[in-house]
Amino acid sequence: MVKKVLLSLLLITTCLYAKTGIYEKNCIPCHEDMAVKIDKFFYRYLLKYSSEMEVKSAMTKYLKNPKAENSILADGLITRFGVKKKSTLNDEQLQEALDTYWEQYKVFDKLK
Amino acid sequence: MLALKSWDINLRSREKKTLRSFLLLYAFLALLILAFVAFLYYGLERDLMLQNQRETLSNLTNEQIARLKSLHVNFEKDQNFPRDERFNSAIYDSSLKQIFSTLSTKKINLYEDIYLKNDHIYFIKELESYYLGARYIVLEVNAPISWDKKVYRKLLLYGSVIFGILVVIGYFLLSLLLRPMQDTIALLDRFIKDTTHELNTPVNTILSNIEMIDLASLDDTLLKKIKRITIASKTISNLYDDLTYLVFSHQILSQDVDVDVDLGELIQERLEYFTLLFESKKIELSVNLTEGIHLIIDRKKMAKLIDNILSNAIKYNKIGGTIAVRLVDHCIEIKDSGRGIEKSKINQVFERYSRFDRSVGGFGIGLSIVASIAKEYALHVKIDSIQKEGTTVRISW
Repeated sequence: MVKKVLLSLLLITTCLYAKTGIYEKNCIPCHEDMAVKIDKFFYRYLLKYSSEMEVKSAMTKYLKNPKAENSILADGLITRFGVKKKSTLNDEQLQEALDTYWEQYKVFDKLK
Repeated sequence: MLALKSWDINLRSREKKTLRSFLLLYAFLALLILAFVAFLYYGLERDLMLQNQRETLSNLTNEQIARLKSLHVNFEKDQNFPRDERFNSAIYDSSLKQIFSTLSTKKINLYEDIYLKNDHIYFIKELESYYLGARYIVLEVNAPISWDKKVYRKLLLYGSVIFGILVVIGYFLLSLLLRPMQDTIALLDRFIKDTTHELNTPVNTILSNIEMIDLASLDDTLLKKIKRITIASKTISNLYDDLTYLVFSHQILSQDVDVDVDLGELIQERLEYFTLLFESKKIELSVNLTEGIHLIIDRKKMAKLIDNILSNAIKYNKIGGTIAVRLVDHCIEIKDSGRGIEKSKINQVFERYSRFDRSVGGFGIGLSIVASIAKEYALHVKIDSIQKEGTTVRISW
C-alpha cells in the first residue's frame, strides 16, 4: 500500500515537473501572446542555420544578447515589435530550454 | 625467324632466363603504362558523360528545391517528403547529418559536385536557403545505359594495337641487346674451331708413333715416360673429339649410323682405353657388367658419352679413390669418390662452358656433350652428388 502511494507520488511529481519545465515556464508564456507563433521562429532559424548545433548556438547568442542585427526577423517586424529583453536564465537553463524547443519542432523523424 | 633459330642453339639456359625476365618485365611495364593511360582515358570519358548530364540534373534539382520550399512553409500541415519517379533524392544539414533520404545507398560524398558510382549518377547541390534545415541536396539517377561499353570497346581496340606495336619494338630492342652476346659466343666458337683444326695433325702423329714403339724392348724408366706421354696424348685426343663434336655441329664424330651396340663390351673397351689414367691416379676400379645388354645407338656417340662421364670421374677423383661402374638392364651407373658438386649447381652442369672447379683443366664442355647425346637418343641422365663424398651418374633409357 505504502509502495503504491510512493509510486503514484513519484509519477505525479515527474509529470508536474515536465509540465513546468524551463521552456514551458520561460518561453511559451510570452510567445503565446505574440502575433508570430513560436514555431515560425524555429523554422526561420532552421532556414538560416540548418544544423542542430548551429541553430542552438545562434539562438543562445541572440537570447543572451538580443540585438536588431542578430535577429532573424525581417526588418519590418523588428521595427514593429522591437527587440526582446535579455534572458534571465543561466547557461544551463537556457540550454535545457533550447533542447526542449529543438525536440519539439525538429524536422528529423517527422518527414514521411 | 633465322635469328631465333640461331639463338636456340647458342643461348644457354641462363641467358634464356635473362631473356625471359627481360621480356616479362618489358611486357609488364608496357601493360602498366597502357593501364595508366586507359585509366586516364576512362576518367575523361566518364567526366564527359557526367558533364552532359549536369544540366538535366541541375534542372531536376531546382524542381526538387522548389518542392522543399513549399514543404518548409507548410510543414505543420504536410510532412510528406517530395518524391519524383525520375530520381531519388536526399537532404543533409550543415553538419552533414542526413535529414531524409530515398537514395539506394547511405554513403554519399557530399564534397563532390557530381560523380558516378555503381551505375548511378549522384548530383550534389548546396542550397542557398536551408529549407527544412537542408544545406545539401543529393539527386540520384541511373547512368545512361551501357555508356561504358563503348569506352571499353575503344580501350580494348586501341590498347591491343598499341601493345602490339610495343611488342614489335621490344623484339627489335631485344635483338639489339643480344647482338654483343651472340658475337661473343660466335667468337668463342670460331676460336675453338681454329684451335681444333690445328690440333688434329700433331695429336694423331704422337698417338700413331707411340703405337709403333715396341714397348717390350724398353727399360722401366722409359716405359713409364712413354706411358705418361700416352696418357697425355689420349687426354688431348679426347678433348679433340669433344671439340670436334661441338664445333662441327655433331657431324664429324657421328657417322649417323645407329647399330646394335653390346654395352658391356663397349664399356669394357672404354675402361681399357682409360687404364693408364686409372693407374696414374691409383684409382681402384670396381666393374659389374651384366652381359647381353644391347642398345640401338651410334657407337661413337655412346663411346663419347661414356668417355666423358669416366673422364670426369677420374679428373675430379682423389688419388687412391674409387670408381664403380655398373651395367644393369636399362641403366648404366658410374659412381666416383670425387669432390662432388654443390646441390644448387647440379642443374647447371650440363651447360656449355660451365665449370665449378678450376683446379683441374678443361673447357666445361664434357657434360654438355653428354646432355646433347642423351637428348638425341632420349636417354635420361641423372646426377646425384654429395660434396666431398662423390658423384653418381645414372644413364637410363
